[in-house]
Parts: sequence; C-alpha cells; structure tokens
Amino acid sequence: MGNVGAVFVFEWKRSLTVPRMAWWLVLAGFPVFIIGLIRMTIRVHTPMNELQRGLWLGFLFALGPMLVTMLGTMLWLTPAVSAELERRSWVYLSVRPNGGTAVLLGKYLAAVTWVIPPVLVGLAIAVPISGIRDGWEVWCAMVGLVCLSTPAYAAVYLLLGTVMPRRAMVLAVGYSLLFELVISYVPAVINKLTVQHHLLALMMRWCQFELPPAFQSGAAALIGNSPTSEHVLALMLYPPILVAISVFILRANEFSSSAESDV
Amino acid sequence: MIELKNVTKLYGKVIGVNDFTLSLGAGAFGLLGPNGSGKSTLLNLITGQLRPTLGTVHVMGQSPRNNAALFRRLGYSPGSEGLYSNVSALEWVKYLQQLQGMSAADADVAAGTALELVGMAAAMHRPISSYSRGMRQRTKLAQAIAHNPDILILDEPFSGLDPVGRHELTNVLLDWIDLGKSMLFASHVLHEIESITQSFLLICGGRLLASGTAEDVHAMMVGLPNEVALKCNRPHALASIVLGEEVADSVRITGDTVTVATKHPARLYENLPQWLGRSGIEVTEMHSADESLQALFNSLMKMHRGEL
Repeated sequence: MGNVGAVFVFEWKRSLTVPRMAWWLVLAGFPVFIIGLIRMTIRVHTPMNELQRGLWLGFLFALGPMLVTMLGTMLWLTPAVSAELERRSWVYLSVRPNGGTAVLLGKYLAAVTWVIPPVLVGLAIAVPISGIRDGWEVWCAMVGLVCLSTPAYAAVYLLLGTVMPRRAMVLAVGYSLLFELVISYVPAVINKLTVQHHLLALMMRWCQFELPPAFQSGAAALIGNSPTSEHVLALMLYPPILVAISVFILRANEFSSSAESDV
Repeated sequence: MIELKNVTKLYGKVIGVNDFTLSLGAGAFGLLGPNGSGKSTLLNLITGQLRPTLGTVHVMGQSPRNNAALFRRLGYSPGSEGLYSNVSALEWVKYLQQLQGMSAADADVAAGTALELVGMAAAMHRPISSYSRGMRQRTKLAQAIAHNPDILILDEPFSGLDPVGRHELTNVLLDWIDLGKSMLFASHVLHEIESITQSFLLICGGRLLASGTAEDVHAMMVGLPNEVALKCNRPHALASIVLGEEVADSVRITGDTVTVATKHPARLYENLPQWLGRSGIEVTEMHSADESLQALFNSLMKMHRGEL
C-alpha cells in the first residue's frame, strides 16, 4: 500500500497547478452559476409549493451528484492509462513492483478526493441560492449522494480508461450519454446496472421528493421498490468490483510504448 | 541471467522479434542493431512489458511478466523519454523509488545519490521541462540505478549526450560493471558499446545474427565482400583499373564516385596509391563501407539467409 500512497501524493502535488486549480473552481462554480441563472429567470412563489421544491431538487441533483461528479471523475480517470502511454511514461511505472496496480489505485484515490470538495462547496452555495425551504437537510442529503456517486463514477471511468486506453474518452462520453443519461431513465431491468438509477432512488427518498399523483406510478416503475440499503450497497460495491476488474485488465494487457512504431 | 527460447513477437502482421534464442550469463553485454532492428521489442520482452507470441522469456530464472520480485532487482532505462515536465528530477526519481518500495525518506536519499552520480546534482531541483536532452538522459539513468538493481537494462542511454557527458556516463557504467553487476546495453552505435563491453549481440530484422566479441565478428567477416567508395576525377578510368587488376568483384559508378565491391580489401588498399600514381587519377574522397554498421548487418543478413 506504500506505493499507492506515493502515487496518491504525487498526483495530488501535480494537481496543484494554476490550470488544475482553475478547473477546481469551474467545477465548484458550475452549479452555482446555473442555479443562479435559473433563480433569476423563474419567479418563485413564497412559500414554495411541492412542485417547485421538486423542480429545484431536480436541478440540484442533476448539477451536483450527477453532472459535476461525472465530469470531474471522467476528466481525471478516463485518461489514467492513456495519458501515461501518450507521454511514454508508462514504462517507468510498469517496471516497478506492482507499479501498474499502484498507479491505478493511487490515481483513483487522488481523483475521488479531488472531485468531492468542489462539488460540495458548489452545492453549499447553490442550495441557499435555490431558496429551497429545508436547505440544510437537502445539502446533507446531497453530501451523502456525492460521497456515493463520486467513487462509483470514478470506478466506472477508470475501468473504461483501462479497457480501451486509445479511445477512452470517446468510450466514456458514449457510455455517459447512452447509459447514465438515457438508459438509466428507461423503466427496465437494465437501468438497475447504472449508477444514476441508484442515485435517483436515493435522492427521492433522502430528500422526501414528492411527485404529483399523476407521476407517481411512473416514478415507481422507474426506481422500483428496492429498499434504501440495497441502493446504498449497490453504489458501495461499484468501486471495489470495477477497480478490481480494471487492475485485472491492466495486468493482462500489454501496454508497450514501442509497439509497432519503433519495433 | 537472461534466457530466451524461440521467442517470436508479432504486432499484427509485423514481426518485432523472430525466433530468437539466447542465453546470457552474468556480465555486461551490448545489444547492437540498426534502428528498427527489434532491439526495443527485445528489451520490452525482457522487462515484461510485452508477452511473447511464441516461445519463453526468463530473467534470473523467472518470467518477467507482472513479476514484482524480479522488478525489485531490475533497473530499466527505456529509449523513449517519457518524463513529466512539471516536476523536478529529484521529485520524479524519488517517486519512482517509492514505487520501488522505498519509504519517502529512503527514496529521497536514493534519488539524490543517483542524480549526483550521473552529474545532475546542480540541476535536480529544477523542473524537467527546463532540461536539455543530455540532462534528461542522465535523469533516466538515475531512475534506473537509484534502487541499486542487480541487472541494468539500458536502451540507447547515450542518445543526445555530448562527448563529455558520454565520457562521464561511460565511467559511471564501467564502475557499475566493476561492482560485479549485470548489464544489457542496447545501441545502434558500435563504438558506444565497445566503450562499455567487448561482449555483444548483433540483431537485425528481429533476428540474432551473431554474438561474441568484436574480434569474433571481424573474423566472421573475412572473405565477405567489402565495399569501398572512391570519389575521383576519372571514375571510368579507375573502374577499368580495378577490374583489370582483378581486385574487384563488381564496380558501380554513380556520378564521380566509384563503388568497388571486393573480397580482397587489403590488396586494394595496398596497391591503390601505386595505380593512382601511374594513371594520374586524383581521388578526393575515400569511404570504406566496411566501417558502416549497416554494411556489416547487410552482410550478416545475407549470410543468415544463405545468400553468401
């Protein structure tokens, strides 16, 4: 584990540059900016009715645990292997004892710990701006969702980046659009395989998301009747399972910088 | 130390290494071959980066693929650069030593010592992006030797170094060999390898063409055609003389240059001044193709195919 810690510290140090810090601020500022724009556009009745509350909850959920978390982890971890291959630095890492494994785990931990803070900071500002009445409770629920979604999405993108390093970003964007943003909202068994399905179910319960009666049967079909613990467990199982598969693939594959080009 | 049995490596339809069999004991060996000859592929197989398509690779009796125990005893400096630009040499070498299993404090000491040894003490705190190519080469060597491995594998370590740098690093490597450690040194420049070791392997087209000392290879070359290029004012007259004296196997004229292929280079060199003096031909440039490494490899490849 010592070498995982070394990678973690090294990656964190490398992230303390002006461009990376600017990116940190962009991630934190994105939900604030969007919620602020919507707040200026939509007139809110006081007190806020359930429909309006549901709308704001939807915006906060979509911007925090969903989009910013996905974006942050995608940009950190999808190129975890390909960036080293393109830079031709992979060879120095892979000839170390369990070097490849340490690099994957260290980068994974660095990404998770780097992405969570800006999302939470952004939501801490965006929730009060939304004017939602139980802001503290909603923020606490969002903290739980972010702490579950970030490791899960990070594991998904790490796996995609390991499966196909040369086309990792295309694969990650395709997966996100198709599975997390489309299939997760299809009321079928397949949506249970997406991170988004479990997050949505937890958000509706933890935030007491009340739908109008006309939508309740549709929502029930979408998120099912599984207990909360099952959704939490599913999200907690994503990281160990997907990271283990990534390590297995990494060890089985050949990642030589000399392949074909300088035989 | 290193054993390859009938190793073939294919990249799709491209052959990287072709039916390569080799057994090296402890010591220092040079791997000599032109660019694209398969040296890097061979080193990637030996360091476990690649898996052979056919055959087996063993280093110190073990397969090098994902072998943590072996990697603790192996130092590798690849041909490609691949250094991080925004960190210093000290940070980078320290990081790699931590990956090697050292604590942060031990890695710091080991990295500093290795960088000092390769002449990077003054610059090791600067970002790598500010380094010259020679400084990067030194840094690459430092990361390979910092953990004091038993086997050092170097791919073109002198590339980009100035003569002083070459001399300094040659001394570092010779000291390394004197400690009784093993080394495999790949290069496409004969004299680079000769400055380090007299034991070398010749590789071309992914095949092992010859192995032994420099004398062994020269002995193999006796009786093979040598090419000598002569630039002169009357190429046709010169061609006529060498053919008439029955010293040339073939002659080719390109502009003002006569290229003579001969199995008797000594006789050609001995009599040429006399023939030139008698005929009044002025030779302004003479280049022996025998000095060209590519010619040596071409001849060995022809021998290998049974064409000579």
